[in-house]
Parts: sequence; structure tokens; C-alpha cells
Amino acid sequence: MTEPFLVARNIAKRFGALTALANVDLEIRSGEVLALLGDNGAGKSTFIKILAGAHPPSDGELVIEGNPVAFHSPKDAAASGIATIFQELALSENLSIAENVFLGRELKRSILGIPFLKRKEMRQRVDGLLKELDAHISDPEAPVGSLSGGQRQAVAICRALNLNARLVIMDEPTAALAVAETRKVLALTRRLAARGCAVVLISHNISEVFEVADRIVVFRRGRKVAERLAAETHHEEVVSLITGAHPDVRALEKTN
Amino acid sequence: MNVVRQLGNGVFSMNGREWSLLVACLVAIVIFSVASPHYATSGNAATVLRNSVELLLIGLGMTLLLAMGGIDVSIGIVMGLAAIAIGRVLGAGGNPLLALIAGPLVGALLGCVTATVVVIGRVPAIVGTLGLLGVYRTAVFVLLGGQWLSGLPSSLTEVLATSVLGVPVPALAITIAYLAVWLALRRTPYGLHLLAIGNSEEKARLSGIPVIKIRFMTFVVSGVLTGIAAMFYVATYRNVEMTIGSTLALDAIAAVILGGTSILGGRCSLIGTVLGVLLLRILQNGLLLIGVPSLWQPVVTGVLIIGVLGFEAVCNRLPLGRFQRARA
Repeated sequence: MTEPFLVARNIAKRFGALTALANVDLEIRSGEVLALLGDNGAGKSTFIKILAGAHPPSDGELVIEGNPVAFHSPKDAAASGIATIFQELALSENLSIAENVFLGRELKRSILGIPFLKRKEMRQRVDGLLKELDAHISDPEAPVGSLSGGQRQAVAICRALNLNARLVIMDEPTAALAVAETRKVLALTRRLAARGCAVVLISHNISEVFEVADRIVVFRRGRKVAERLAAETHHEEVVSLITGAHPDVRALEKTN
Repeated sequence: MNVVRQLGNGVFSMNGREWSLLVACLVAIVIFSVASPHYATSGNAATVLRNSVELLLIGLGMTLLLAMGGIDVSIGIVMGLAAIAIGRVLGAGGNPLLALIAGPLVGALLGCVTATVVVIGRVPAIVGTLGLLGVYRTAVFVLLGGQWLSGLPSSLTEVLATSVLGVPVPALAITIAYLAVWLALRRTPYGLHLLAIGNSEEKARLSGIPVIKIRFMTFVVSGVLTGIAAMFYVATYRNVEMTIGSTLALDAIAAVILGGTSILGGRCSLIGTVLGVLLLRILQNGLLLIGVPSLWQPVVTGVLIIGVLGFEAVCNRLPLGRFQRARA
């Protein structure tokens, strides 16, 4: 196994007197899909917000490829190669796919000091990305507003790839999708990992997680209570870890 | 040449909405020609075009503002203030070139004021500019001291009423302004950012767009266009009256909405704005010629706005899908 892309050490997050997250140690590896599971309020969202630079941790450190990092904003995280695809995708429905993929980081050429868009190059690049992801979107000029939920996820993934993201965090990407669409997005998730990206996936759907994840981490009451290789665990065990019925979790919660 | 090829592609391309506006203009012309013997004359056509100059320039700026999800209801009085500045320079016997600078300069400064209130101060555009409208209206009265600026020297008129290679200067100015705004909107990152902001400011921010800078800039651009409009106003009428620009904002918003720009932002049409201005001016001029008092002009404009928005609202509720595709 290669060195992990990102190591989280002893991460804690407190909001006033409330401890949302405590003592989280986690390794995220390139080429691997890591699923975060847990009930509502277990700390998954707080954890990814720390990874995404939206919250600074109260304690602990993040290390990317051996170098400690401190994120003060989502921009810092993005500069370190971390892209977050939020549930409510930050896409502009009125703009085309290609325009969305490049929004904020357009390719341009300067003519008389005026920055003109390199529309053809952007279109070709997006065409290539869509083909590579096998996203079944033929026209990068189509407005995003005309796309289905799954296709929009694909556009958001393209955007992350185009920003050279090396860790893509996906927050419940299939929550609002129909069955066929869900299949496509899961396939996209696998392809992202195959491309060498580290992927962190948050989901409530356990069978879905077993389908795509290499590793499963369970959060409960602000702590990481279990980490399993997907191949070495099963549905029932994961459920008992989430609900706290599992003997390991009981033992852990008794000592604390 | 790349630029030339880019220009050829879509500058004047039209969709269904824009074609129907063109047809509406033609139908109005035919009806008025039948109704009034004074209508279909070259002199009257020139009058209509002449009356459209300021509104075209201001309408281009208003298109950008609405596309961004903004608005400026004080824009007519901004033109009034710019016109007063130009008038004062001319009245003091100033160089007409100085007057040429005064218009856009005052427009840009007032654009900065509006942007400071709306963008930096985060006051919703409709309320912020309504507040400024009140302030500016009084400013016009105070600056004019209860008297029209009239009988201004013709020096500016002589500059702006000339032709370059057979093309009248106002037509030239409008063409240049149109192409500049079109290029900025459709061929530069600025246009994408503007439309993204109009769609959702929050999403635009998450995408890394400098939202404040783009919004500020757009209010200034609208101010500059309005300052240029003031130049043509003063050059044509050679006076500045108390009520200057009082219906311009209404006219501009009506023309832009008629043209297919969304009042909610995110979608706009520049050619639609041009056609919207022409239709509005054709109707106003035609109604006057068939004997409808000019008092009724704002009624026509107001009814047009309400009619268009009501029609769109009804169409959007139909199961047939959106009246206008979300083509930005």
C-alpha cells in the first residue's frame, strides 16, 4: 500500500460546549473509495466540512502527503487538491455544461488586453472528460438546467476533475436520484477512484456503500467507532456498528 | 481573424421571442401608417430612431443589471444629473470635449454610489435604488435651482450631430456600445460570471467567482452607458428640464423585459432589448400621432410590463414546459 494521500490525526471539533467530533484518526488513500457511515448527528458532515476547509478543527491536524496543512477557507482546501461535491450541487442551471465545468477558472486568451474565452478548447476538454467518465452526455453545450440529477452529478465530478482534485468528497450523491441514475453515479464514483483519485463518500444507503466502497468507516456520537475493509465485513455488522448494538461499540462506549 | 469570426457568430442571432418582437414592430408600423397620414414619413422614422438613442444605451446597461439579478430604478435621474453636469460645462463656455468627458464621468461616479449602497451595503437593489431615486430627484431640483437649463451652446450638438463615413454619430455610438456589451457578455469570463450570479449568488460564490467585484463593475458600466446617453440628450435638446428622465427607468425596464431578459436574472437577450426599445418607441410615437395624449404613454409601458410578465407566469404554469428555454 502506498502512502495515504491525507491523514487526519486526533481531529476534534467543538461548538461551544457541544463536542461534535472527538479523537478522529483517519487515513484516506488515493485510488480508494472510503465510505463514511453513521446516523444523523454522528459527525460525518462535521468531519467532511473540516476536510473541505469550511470549518477549522478545534484540535488535531491534517497531513497531506506528509505535510501538515491548515485550511482557513474552502479555497485553501481546493488549492490542496480537495474538491467537495455538496448535496445541493453548486452548478449554474442557466449555463452550459462546459461553462459550468470551467466556471471561475475559464481558459482565456488576451486580445488587446481583453480576456476572451477559449470556448473551443474548453468544449473539447469537457468532451474528453465526459467521454472518459462514460457519462453519456453528448453535447457539452447543453444547459445544465436540462440535465437529470445523475447527469448533474457527472458534471460536478467533471468540474472536480478539471480542478485537478486528488480527493473528491461526495455528500450523499445519490440521495435524490432514481434507481438507474444511482447506478450511473456509483459507476462514476468507481471510475474516479480508478483514475487515482481518493474518494470519500457519505451515504445512508448501506447496500450502495458495499457496492462501491473499499473501506468503511463508521461514526457514532462524534467518534469513529469502527473501520472495516468492505470485503471483510457484511451488512448486518455495519448496521450494528451504526446503531451501537455491536459488542465492539458497546465496549468502546463503556470505557469512555 | 479570430475576433472577426467570433463576431460573425451570433451577434444578431434571434430566437422566437425576438422574431415575434420584430413582427410586433412591423405590425405596429402598418397599423399606425393606416391610421395616421403623418406616420409613414421618413421624417417620422428619423424621429422614432432619434428618440430611441438614450433608451438603447441605458437599456443595454439595464439588460446587464437584470441578467445579474439586479435593477436600477434611479437610472433615469442619473441621466438627468449627468445631463446637468454636461449642461453646466457647456453653459460656462467649456470645451465640448470636456462636456464629452463629463457625461460618462458623472455616470461612472453615480454608478459607484449605487454599487456602494447595493453591493457593499447589501441593500436589495430595488430598495437601494428607490432610495437613491428620491435623493437624486431632489438633487436635480436643487442643482437646477428651479429653472431649466436652456439655450445651451450648440458646440456639443455640432460634435454629436455629425456623420463619420456617412454614419450618424449616435448610430455609431450605439453600434459600438452594443458590440462591446455583446462581446463582454458572450465572449469573456465576465459574461459567464454575470449570468451565474443572476442564477444564484451563493452558487456563484461557491464556484469561486468574485461576486462583489462583478456586481460593482456592472453598476459602474450601467452608469457610464447612462452618462453617454446624457451626452446625446443634451446634444439633441440643448436644454435640461426639471422632469428629465422621470420615465426612463420604467421605459428601460419595460424594454428589457419585453426583449426576453428575465426579471429574476440569469437569462438575457441584447438583441431583444434593442427590439424592445424600438417597439416601445414606435408605440409611443404612433399613439401620439393618432391623437392619444402623451399622458397615456406610461400607462402603455406599465401595461406592457405587467402583460409580458403575466403572460410568462401563465405559460410557465402550463404543462407544455417553459415558455422560454433556459438559454442564457
